Amino acid sequence: MEKVSHKLSLLWLNYKKNKAIYWMALPVVLYFLVFKYLPMYGAIIAFKDYSVGKGIWGSDWVGLQHFRDFFQSYYFWRILKNTLVLSFYQLLFGFPAPILLALLLNELRNEIFKRTVQTVSYIPHFISIVVICGMIVDFSSRDGLFNTIIEYFGGQSSALLSDPANFRTMYTASSIWQELGFSSIIYLAALSGINPELYDAANVDGASRLRQVWHITLPGIIPMILILLILRIGGLMEIGFEKIILLYNPNVYDTADVISTFVYRKGISESAEFSYTTAVGLFQSVINFTLLVGANRLSKAVSNTKLF
Amino acid sequence: MKRSWRKRLAIGICLMMGFTILAGCTGDNGNAGGAEGDGTTPISIWMSMNTNASITLKSMNEITAIKEWEKKTNTKIEFQHPAVGAETEQFNVMIASNQLPDAMFVNGDYAKLFNDGTIIRLNELIDEYAPNLKKILDENPEVAKQLKADNGDIYAIPHLRLGEYKTFGGTFIRQDWLDELKLEKPETLEEWETVLKAFKEKKGVSAPLLFGAPPKMTTMGPAAPTYLEAYGITNNIFMQDGKVVYGPIEPEYKEFLTMFHRWYQEGLIDPDFATNDQKTYDAKILSGQAGAFFTFIGGGVGRYLPALQETDPNANLTAVQYPVLNKGDEPMFTGRSWEWSSSGVVITNSNKHPEETVKALDYFFSEEGHMLKNFGVEGLTYTMKDGYPTYTDEILKNPDGLSVAQAMAKHFIANYPFVGEDDDRYNEQYYQLQQQKDAAILFSKYSENTLKVGLPPTSLTTEESTEYSKIMSDIGTYRDEMFVKFVIGVEPIENFDKYVDQINKFNVERAIEIQQAALDRYNAR
Repeated sequence: MEKVSHKLSLLWLNYKKNKAIYWMALPVVLYFLVFKYLPMYGAIIAFKDYSVGKGIWGSDWVGLQHFRDFFQSYYFWRILKNTLVLSFYQLLFGFPAPILLALLLNELRNEIFKRTVQTVSYIPHFISIVVICGMIVDFSSRDGLFNTIIEYFGGQSSALLSDPANFRTMYTASSIWQELGFSSIIYLAALSGINPELYDAANVDGASRLRQVWHITLPGIIPMILILLILRIGGLMEIGFEKIILLYNPNVYDTADVISTFVYRKGISESAEFSYTTAVGLFQSVINFTLLVGANRLSKAVSNTKLF
Repeated sequence: MKRSWRKRLAIGICLMMGFTILAGCTGDNGNAGGAEGDGTTPISIWMSMNTNASITLKSMNEITAIKEWEKKTNTKIEFQHPAVGAETEQFNVMIASNQLPDAMFVNGDYAKLFNDGTIIRLNELIDEYAPNLKKILDENPEVAKQLKADNGDIYAIPHLRLGEYKTFGGTFIRQDWLDELKLEKPETLEEWETVLKAFKEKKGVSAPLLFGAPPKMTTMGPAAPTYLEAYGITNNIFMQDGKVVYGPIEPEYKEFLTMFHRWYQEGLIDPDFATNDQKTYDAKILSGQAGAFFTFIGGGVGRYLPALQETDPNANLTAVQYPVLNKGDEPMFTGRSWEWSSSGVVITNSNKHPEETVKALDYFFSEEGHMLKNFGVEGLTYTMKDGYPTYTDEILKNPDGLSVAQAMAKHFIANYPFVGEDDDRYNEQYYQLQQQKDAAILFSKYSENTLKVGLPPTSLTTEESTEYSKIMSDIGTYRDEMFVKFVIGVEPIENFDKYVDQINKFNVERAIEIQQAALDRYNAR
């Protein structure tokens, strides 16, 4: 009791000292409370047989029934696999790409050329996802850009977006294209924080440009890379859902249907299985949470860099 | 950190939607604030907007007949329209959040809505406040039987089709090509193959038979099943000698897939059938890449034929009878609708004026309201010629260049479902082109057969309906995917038995059982 009241009085003192800051933080706290924490109440329908008439609290409890149904569902392995594979592709190809770009840009000496490349590469980030997907669909149609190129090189035109074999490539490649430039900005910022004296010293020692990148530049941004990697892993199961909805069709469900699109279809667009899909969504969040904490721990153990 | 603000916004909106779900539980409801002071009753109606109407109007409130209806019934109607393409989503979100309008035009699972407490039972209200509808139901026991649930409840003020016209679409073929190649209209599947081959080889078109399912393209669409139906089954639940059967697991389905796979390999069907959307579907028809396709007599042919003839004056379309297996067979499935096809206006539990609402809706069953719904305002959109309501040029030759369907939708609600009864005299004039008139006669020739194979509007209990929709939603996804795979050839036809096994594992038997029980109850009504 002593301790608690002591702490509280400390908090009060702190508040008196930094009133302005506390008040400035209030909207943020309210935002999270109202938009992030309150809706969590609705998640309990995952354990209930939700009926609109009876309301969230009044519906009957069913325990883990919906989770069991999901794990036994014919589609469980497919959507789990697709979610993981697409995320993994994003991580494998999408994560290093901006680092590479940043390193390359950093080596450029011609400022004008550097700025131009940078600007051009981050513009796609500002185009709406709907427009991007519209472009991809148009380009992939039978008489679209991609097929024209394929035919020019002697290939056969085909409906590119209805072949399950193409979906992952299309999805990953277009994501990289869209986010590459914008994501590299943060690495460029980290790069500018490296002490130039290190390079001078390396120059004196006769290190080549490649050596300098390897021994000075890269180590300099490792903490940033790790932080971003942890965040990325925390969202491993949460794949760009709007984009898949806009790109996929029933033919490519085999490789394109992920947990979030499944939830969307079963939850509101085809049937209205509110409880079931809440359970599925909850499952996804739990896995994400576990991964995030795990990655953070691992990173802390290995390199002493951590997010929290 | 790498999330774009757009994604954040999207997530924010999703969460807000989640939040409104909560807010809904506090008993809030989204009633239309109305001007009750002047004695009019405000009524909000949720209804998706028909595309023909959305071309000229922002809301159905602007429809001439609706304005007239408001005056006659002393109400202030406020239509709430979901975004085009997101109707189901918005409906489901609305129901889940319990933020209800006064009334909703739906085509759906009424018993579940009632048992959830979303909508109210209308029997007493109809007895007291809807004399015109009551009279129709009393005079047509068959219709009353369709409308009433097993326990006798009525949940909807219905859209009814009591007249002759009960088929609205089917397969059309390029008559000019048939003439050019000296071919007869195909009747059996074999003849179809010959015709499509000729289109492919002699006309060099990429999609001799066009199908797909605009606007959503999620199933095989309305066209492909007509070829399946030649085998005597359909791609869903139907009735065989009074017993409920699920088509896609029957042996005939295998024969159909074998044939369609062959057609696909030979280039007789549209290679892009699985990815078409409305835009590509239209483009293929209008650019002369399609020889035969499914469309609606009114909105489809009325649009395609004039557009085709603009570029090629010889172009001509003609309706083809539903295909059969052997010469002389009668087609069984014709897309004939029941007198009541499960659509109508329901009244929600948050409606504060259910009596006035029922009274207002009943107006469309009165003589005056019936004319208003089907023909609009006398003098403006129709004139009486020898007792026959004839459309004026405002409808038939619209000065603003609107098509008949669009002009109608601007002034009244005849060419898409709404409360009230369809008038045959509307259809007679709606089909302006000879090809349309012929099509209506041709398609309805065997339409009575469909009553022997089509399930009547049965009703399921809440438990049944939850179980049924869960089973069928899994099966539906699987069936559609496998259909494409079998036709394209990714999945060899030898695996058909495995496919049937999988559908059995989804427990199709239980789904059939549920529908059989519902059918038995319907027959016992």
